[in-house]
Amino acid sequence: MSKLMAPGGTMQMAYSVLEEGADAVYVGVLGWSRRGSDVELKDEEIKDLVAFAETKGKEVRVVLNTMPSSMEVPLLLKKVDRYIGWGVSGFMISDVGCMVQVRKHFPEIAIHVSVGTGLTNAEDVKYYKDMGATYVILPYRMWLDDVKAIKRTIDVGLEIFLFRTDTQGGIICPGKCTMSSYFRFKRWVDDEGKDYFYGSANRGGDCLRICQIGWEVATDGQPLSKRAILKGNPRLWFHELTDYIKAGVEYFKVPGRDRSDVLVRDIVRFYRKVVDEIRASQDRFSPEKYLPELEELKKRWATERNRRDDRLVARAKA
Amino acid sequence: MFELATHVPNLKKLKEYDLSAYDALYLGDFTCPLYPGNFGSTIEALREGVRAVKAMGKKCYLSLYAIPKDSDLPWIKVLVEESGDLPLDGIEVHSMGLLRIVREMRDDIPIHIGVFGNLYTDETARVLKGYGVERVFSNAELSLEEILYIKDHTPIQVILPLHGKIPLVISATCFLTEYTKTAPAHCEEGCAQGHWLTHEDWQMKNIGRANLSGKDLCLLEYLDLLIRQGLDTFYIHTLGEDPHYVKTVGGIYREALQRAMAVEEFCTPHWLAELQSLAPLGLCNGYSFGMSGQDYISRELELQGTRS
Repeated sequence: MSKLMAPGGTMQMAYSVLEEGADAVYVGVLGWSRRGSDVELKDEEIKDLVAFAETKGKEVRVVLNTMPSSMEVPLLLKKVDRYIGWGVSGFMISDVGCMVQVRKHFPEIAIHVSVGTGLTNAEDVKYYKDMGATYVILPYRMWLDDVKAIKRTIDVGLEIFLFRTDTQGGIICPGKCTMSSYFRFKRWVDDEGKDYFYGSANRGGDCLRICQIGWEVATDGQPLSKRAILKGNPRLWFHELTDYIKAGVEYFKVPGRDRSDVLVRDIVRFYRKVVDEIRASQDRFSPEKYLPELEELKKRWATERNRRDDRLVARAKA
Repeated sequence: MFELATHVPNLKKLKEYDLSAYDALYLGDFTCPLYPGNFGSTIEALREGVRAVKAMGKKCYLSLYAIPKDSDLPWIKVLVEESGDLPLDGIEVHSMGLLRIVREMRDDIPIHIGVFGNLYTDETARVLKGYGVERVFSNAELSLEEILYIKDHTPIQVILPLHGKIPLVISATCFLTEYTKTAPAHCEEGCAQGHWLTHEDWQMKNIGRANLSGKDLCLLEYLDLLIRQGLDTFYIHTLGEDPHYVKTVGGIYREALQRAMAVEEFCTPHWLAELQSLAPLGLCNGYSFGMSGQDYISRELELQGTRS
């Protein structure tokens, strides 16, 4: 049975997505989840959320998907142990070594392989399965055919983003990009010993959205006429959801930890409705009636994304 | 003794370049399988390339495409299979899937992890060792302290880039083709031109399927420290550079490394000036000292407690 996984960028967001019908909520740990501290949760908050989710019969997934320093690995394992003690049943992880250690120490726990690994093919998925993955989160460049091929040959759970790009163009992100930290990179260490690596999403802080700035292009000193954006922005989708459900995808992931609580709540409400109707109507599902609502959500999504990008780029330039 | 290595994409470049400064060559352009005559996509070219490199008395590694899709895996497997009778000293991969494939097909050859292989921790290095990995190129974002930690706490060899434009991001499609809406008639020439991306005072270089740092990583001033830490395997980034760059930078570092090992003066103002003249956007230290990749700390200023 496919589940709907939704973001908890704030406690309010986490509570509201569970109330709106998400089966699971994913939350980032301060300094450890590829986002800024403003959309990550403190440990006490995670503890409270786990207790709340338990009363609702829902899951909490904890995001520890930064690439840590070697020296930070013991701290990551200590935190995993702590969260499991509170009832957390699964984690998003990128670093292979950490994945192997978590699997070794906690054989029963669910490990979701993060897109931070930068995987690009089914053999990569096999490798992460060998490393102890329970689920592999596919990048939004891998589509239905990829899902079917993986499901045919590999016994591993899959998690799919409910946003994607329509083309294969643009840079590979995340997992193969350090442009942001090349230009801006600040480091500070918290009381527990975690380095925040601000400016590097790979390592802990935010990606400062360098790819979304208009870049002037010149060839051997001769300027070309237009400005380039280096990466397309993914958009919400649902057209082939029926096929993805049939293909056996275990988790559909609503993005948006750094969007507003209200927008994320509305997106979850929308997808809950759609997924439930697909299940009820099976092959008779007709997406047309949902299109206006999806378009409205896409607009709100784009508006908030642009606002966020402007904010992050301003930080990069500060 | 030390090893100084770089990448060479195809036979044409292998013939054009003066590679006398280098001990080892990675054959192939890992960013673009369509690069004309890419050693990493063309067995005939690879055969000839390996023969030529061995005739030079150098070590020779095959460098495979960094971000293969499923549709790329069959031709890469054929290449790995057909390269079985070549005297390669190693195969470089950046993808964990390819690592798995190469290990299954060739358990007789050392595997190297390339710069896009996402190596950040000693734990991961140990796991990779179990897959036959002998050498790792750690992620560009690691500081020297972190790189040394991996070297000192694992049975794996670390290769350290000393100079050149840092690969910052890779793309599955060609930026130049997308941007101009036409595929270059001659890819090699298109890529050889300097394509610069500029935003205010920020700059990068594009080579088609990858963006490189605008500034050149430069660790010339720090060679004695690196050697004292036990590092002995070094690398120069030369993707997208011309023959003069490949020869000059390699030559400077070869001699500087020899001098540093002999505890002689290794960082002459002349060499530093020459490296600066080859870097129109200036020099940087990459992430070596825990700062933004584009920053540069002069050794002299650092000793005075000042950062430039």
